[in-house]
Amino acid sequence: MRFNRMDPLHRTDPIYATAFIIPTLAVIGFIAFWPLGQTFYNSLFKFALMYPQSKVFVGLSNYGKLFQDSRFLNDLWNTVRFTVWSVGIETVFGLLVALMLNKKFKLRGLVRAAVLIPWAIPTVVSSQMWRWMYNDNYGIVNNLLLSLHIIKTPIVWLGFPSTAMPAIISVDIWKTTPFMILLILAGLQMIPEELYEAARIDGANVWQRFWSITFPMIRPTLGIALIFRTLDAMRVFDVVYVMTKGAANTETLSVYNQWTLFTRGFIAPYFGYGSAMSVMIFIFISVFAFFYVKMMKIKLD
Amino acid sequence: MKRSIVLVLALIAVLVFSSFAVTLVMTAGAVGREYVVLQQQIKVFEAQNPGIKVVLMPMPNSSTARYNLYVTYLSAGMPQPDVLMLDVIWPPAFANFLVNLNPYFPKSELKDFFQGAVRADTWNGKLVAMPWFIDAGLLYYRKDLLKKYGFEPPKTWAQLIHEAQVISKKEGIKGFVWQGASYEGLTCDFMEYVHSYGGAILNANGKVVSDSPMVKKALQTMVDMIYKYKISPVGVATYMEEDTRHIFQNGDAVFMRNWPYCWPLLNGKNSKVAGKVGVEPLPEGTGFPGVRHSATLGGWQLGINKNSEHVKAAVKLIKFLVSPQQEAYKAIHSGQNPSRLSVYNNPAVIKANPFYKSLWSVFQNAEPRPKSPIYPQISRIIFTNVNEALTKQLTVDQAIAKMTSQLKSLLGQ
Repeated sequence: MRFNRMDPLHRTDPIYATAFIIPTLAVIGFIAFWPLGQTFYNSLFKFALMYPQSKVFVGLSNYGKLFQDSRFLNDLWNTVRFTVWSVGIETVFGLLVALMLNKKFKLRGLVRAAVLIPWAIPTVVSSQMWRWMYNDNYGIVNNLLLSLHIIKTPIVWLGFPSTAMPAIISVDIWKTTPFMILLILAGLQMIPEELYEAARIDGANVWQRFWSITFPMIRPTLGIALIFRTLDAMRVFDVVYVMTKGAANTETLSVYNQWTLFTRGFIAPYFGYGSAMSVMIFIFISVFAFFYVKMMKIKLD
Repeated sequence: MKRSIVLVLALIAVLVFSSFAVTLVMTAGAVGREYVVLQQQIKVFEAQNPGIKVVLMPMPNSSTARYNLYVTYLSAGMPQPDVLMLDVIWPPAFANFLVNLNPYFPKSELKDFFQGAVRADTWNGKLVAMPWFIDAGLLYYRKDLLKKYGFEPPKTWAQLIHEAQVISKKEGIKGFVWQGASYEGLTCDFMEYVHSYGGAILNANGKVVSDSPMVKKALQTMVDMIYKYKISPVGVATYMEEDTRHIFQNGDAVFMRNWPYCWPLLNGKNSKVAGKVGVEPLPEGTGFPGVRHSATLGGWQLGINKNSEHVKAAVKLIKFLVSPQQEAYKAIHSGQNPSRLSVYNNPAVIKANPFYKSLWSVFQNAEPRPKSPIYPQISRIIFTNVNEALTKQLTVDQAIAKMTSQLKSLLGQ
């Protein structure tokens, strides 16, 4: 649809447009780009937070050092593992539940509201709650498995690499599937009922209707949801920090980053190194986001 | 009209009052009963000092998490919190951000405090904090169960293992619980084993000496308690102080390693083991020269933020909290050991904590952890490697080798 340039309702006025957009750009610049620029600037130096006066310019060498740091590489792998599993499972669960909740049934409103509860609890609180549920003596998870005779001795979920990461991923899935449901449900409700009717008349079965109507129609929504969740998962901190503090090989990049900036970079000259790590996390996330936007063919403008 | 005049007057009154009144912000721990007890003490202080208001800021239980918060406050140059509760290992790291207390506490007064703690609070000749309470690792045991099976409190680790095995098997409870999670508390526990076998991580000259047979034996003992003798549940590798106390207080363990704060809680109203608990020094190792009973020196200090706008009021608060009367009150109600020697002569304190007398030498000889501004990094190397051995990600030899090489590269040796 093209509007007539002379139509007073839809006339474009570059001066007004600029005037209205400047505050927005200023706010975004101030809260997003300025700290990012500051972090990048810091990443070019070698210094400790405690002695900001003795900054040494080291160029991009902090970035080179990152890739020789085995702890960084290991944590990168942990972060990717965490992201792929949690986002993958959340998407599948979210889609299934959203499809169910899109059907009409009694008490639908109540169920839709109830589904949101895990997402509404602050992560620190729910992580602490799950830490208790995973406890080897008094935790309900072990209690349940023991009384069902699935296990003979309690499992120390958060103590060992083989169970700690899956346990943490489960908490994240429990917590953020509702977010997926919410977004996908919104997408589903935008699909006009007539499309399904037409398909039914043409004799399309459930499977065909899903792949030729539902999926293409919710793809943009799904894409946005995936971007949100992946960005969140790539910088996961709270669940891991509360549940294991990175023990049992569950440390993610953000946890290591926090340690480098605070514990290490306070006195030892590692604040620049920590900043470089923050910038790298930002770059990784950007790459993911770019990839999604391309893959899901989302139009951003 | 009248209403608005009243409102304006009220506003002016508030402004005038608040400019006279001083508000101090103090960070406070909330392990066991300490927070409630401190609130009571603050009430008394505010009554004695009208014009000073104290706002308490509860801190997380994990010492590592507290450290990170302090880094945020101090490096941002914030004037609050004014009074900081500091772990015994932090003064070297935070020294530049704290007020020198030498002018306020004369040497004659410092004599009454544990000298080990005063030394820990002194960095580059400046007294940057005042010892508030002392901690030392203790062995808690079930008096009733040991008596039932005819055992004496254990003097060596081997004896403890034997008693724990027998009793835990017969009673169907856990033998020995301690702090094995990957955090500062594990370094404290590990140092006790190392010292008890006559070993050390850093020697007197600061050289890394952690690849000794004593240190290996220390770690082997801890690992064997879990997997060979099975007196400690596998879960100890995830326990912090409060996790172990819950188990012991619930009557589910024979022995526990913990700090003195547990005593009043274990004998409190809600405790299943009230009156059934004894306290002893931690066992010593065997088979090496220099074996001894060792307790890690812990405890908390009070320091003043250099950027505080109310240093004088803050000094008043610290003087009040470390006064003999208040230290006695704290010892009786929250079981935290006074940092003043003279308080141990107070009969009411001894009555509430009988073990203060019998374990006097434990507190007196508690052993410090390495003193260094980069202590948190040293400790992290220790506790991550020990925890990896406790969860069998590394063998004992691998963990010690990795710890040693990481410490050497950190300290440039």
